[in-house]
Amino acid sequence: MKKAAVKKSIISEGEQIQLATQMIKLGARLQLLESQTTLSRERLIKLYKELKGMSPPKGMLPFSTDWFLTWQPNIHSSIFLNIHDYLVKNAGVDDITAVLKAYSLYLQQVGHDSEEEPVLSLTRAWTLIRYVDSKMLKMKACTCCSGQFVVNAYDLNQNYLCSLCHIPSRAGKTKKAKATETQYKLVDSNVIA
Amino acid sequence: MNETEMMNEIKDANLNYLMLAQQMLRADRATAIFRLGINEDVADLLEGLSNFQILKLSSSNMMLARFRFEDSAILSMLTDYTKDRALANAHSAILLSGQPA
Repeated sequence: MKKAAVKKSIISEGEQIQLATQMIKLGARLQLLESQTTLSRERLIKLYKELKGMSPPKGMLPFSTDWFLTWQPNIHSSIFLNIHDYLVKNAGVDDITAVLKAYSLYLQQVGHDSEEEPVLSLTRAWTLIRYVDSKMLKMKACTCCSGQFVVNAYDLNQNYLCSLCHIPSRAGKTKKAKATETQYKLVDSNVIA
Repeated sequence: MNETEMMNEIKDANLNYLMLAQQMLRADRATAIFRLGINEDVADLLEGLSNFQILKLSSSNMMLARFRFEDSAILSMLTDYTKDRALANAHSAILLSGQPA
């Protein structure tokens, strides 16, 4: 999107504000808003404060490709990227619209409720798409289930087994996971009783 | 359930499917295309069907919608998830969206 080419028009500005609003609600960082809308930084900060009631977080965006390759993030980013690619291929949407649509679908798919933070944030999802576009990450079919998963483009991935067919032994055994597990058990036993 | 009842159930399912698909497409096209697992041409057709066409199409003895997990090995793998429902969901989401429309 070329900033200079866009004429000052109230309608297009309204559309941009709507787009920015949607992105902020989904948890976008300021850098993402700046690159995808034509609104000025000041207006975006104002909008952010109005919607979230606080200043946007400062600092750089996460920039490591490694995050997408660890166990749980890999599963989540693979879900998102599969949805995104499907939409681009079959639904005729592209760019930020595709990212936003795919991201809302991803949230529904993983059963996310608004209380806790989703594993994959919108900003990370957008970063993932950029990494794939710049060929740092790519998709690779698992040799067992033939599902497509995110892998590093420069790793050797012959006979690739995905993180769901071949679950690493300590995967998902965090303190947080344990706490929720006991919660589920309690709920389950209540259901039975 | 006897044969006639079964046929009627199939017709009901067909009608439900077509009407739901049309509603989904009209509400949010891109999302519906993903959820239904169809391509744009089919989406255009479904969206444009008149009520009469839907009724005519659905009153057949054959199921109109097809099962999306055709590979028996993958299906058995997905149903064999014993521990974690979330993982099974994640896996089937990846496999379904990876399929060609």
